[in-house]
Amino acid sequence: MNNIIKPSYFAMLSREMKLFELVEASPSLLSILTRLDIRLPFGDISIREMCQREHLDVELFITLCAMHVDTNYRPDTTKLKSDMLGGVIGYLRASHRYYAEHMLPHTSAHLERILAHCDELSSSVLRRFYDDYTHYIVKHFSEEENAIFTPIENHDCGAGRADCSLFDMPHADIDDRSNDIASLIFKNLPEGAPTSLRCAMLEHIYALRDDLRRHSNVEAYLLKPLVEKYINRK
Amino acid sequence: MKRYRVAIVERSELIAEGIRAILEYSASISIIGRYDNLGDVEALVQSDSVDAIVMSSTLGHQLETSSLVGALPIVALQWCATEESLLRRFSSIVSIYNSGEEIIKAVCDACEQPQEHNYNDSHELSERERDVLILVARGMTNKEIAVELNISPHTVMSHRKNIVHKTGIRSVAGLTVYAVLNKLIDSEQL
Repeated sequence: MNNIIKPSYFAMLSREMKLFELVEASPSLLSILTRLDIRLPFGDISIREMCQREHLDVELFITLCAMHVDTNYRPDTTKLKSDMLGGVIGYLRASHRYYAEHMLPHTSAHLERILAHCDELSSSVLRRFYDDYTHYIVKHFSEEENAIFTPIENHDCGAGRADCSLFDMPHADIDDRSNDIASLIFKNLPEGAPTSLRCAMLEHIYALRDDLRRHSNVEAYLLKPLVEKYINRK
Repeated sequence: MKRYRVAIVERSELIAEGIRAILEYSASISIIGRYDNLGDVEALVQSDSVDAIVMSSTLGHQLETSSLVGALPIVALQWCATEESLLRRFSSIVSIYNSGEEIIKAVCDACEQPQEHNYNDSHELSERERDVLILVARGMTNKEIAVELNISPHTVMSHRKNIVHKTGIRSVAGLTVYAVLNKLIDSEQL
């Protein structure tokens, strides 16, 4: 995207901002509250008060919100504190669970409703394609957790143990597969599947794709610099 | 001096007339009209020349199905918080809080950008591309396809590039599904 001229979303966030105002302005942040298991109702409390109650690092929470809403936002790595690392890993693990337990099954259920309107061969190839896609994503999460998160959490992070190259590898591929599924459902699925079902499925696919892009940004621009700081400190 | 012909897609009269006044201040821009939906401009593009569209970012969901995406620059006019997923669909973005000069520059820059494809580009696969697609879907490598069709591997790669461009599908597994859904191969050929 070129010629982006807009105020920074991060600059608009403050510790004293009411949590409800934050959510009202950017409802997509509700999914972050779900991931972090933040208990409702939270009353009319500020971001700072909520973080205190939930034992969250307030700077980290604000950074995650900014990265979620504004995908062009990049945190200033010189200002990142290495004690944020545990919080970032906790968030990423929670996101992995959120994808595995909420987003993927939800999208899968929508796909099944569409496939019920298709012939046997079409539904079997599309189901297989979607299953391969979800297995690929889940396998990648598991590799990240085993190769990076667990060694760091066990304070067992000698240089080379935490393989940062894993962050970069399959995200473009996951993105391509998400777009392929959307394109197939939108343009190629034979008549029969109602438009409302197709559109609902597309909304889920695009939401999943966009969320995975944000997830990938958190890994590349927040976790990776923190891991590098951690390795250099050891 | 070239004058860019720009359409405005914005439902608020107040905002539409404001952006019109700013853009018309530039000698390089001519406003051809204001419309409520992108679909109204699609009909216009086929009979008239349009160089760019300035469109409310809140209507970004209309880009999902529009044939104008990639055919001409579509600049988001942002006046409220908008999801990144919607903003990403635009060629560029201007905020109503930008100065008039910045808005004019962003629209002129967008008009100068080369576009990915022409509006009338055919997305129909040629017979040869269909042959290549069927063999890709059957799991053959470029080299095997070249031997099978008696063409060079370089030509196979060129056909594959066109197939990806026309179908919008990048993965081999996705192309296999495409071939099945479009009845180019049956279960026995998989």
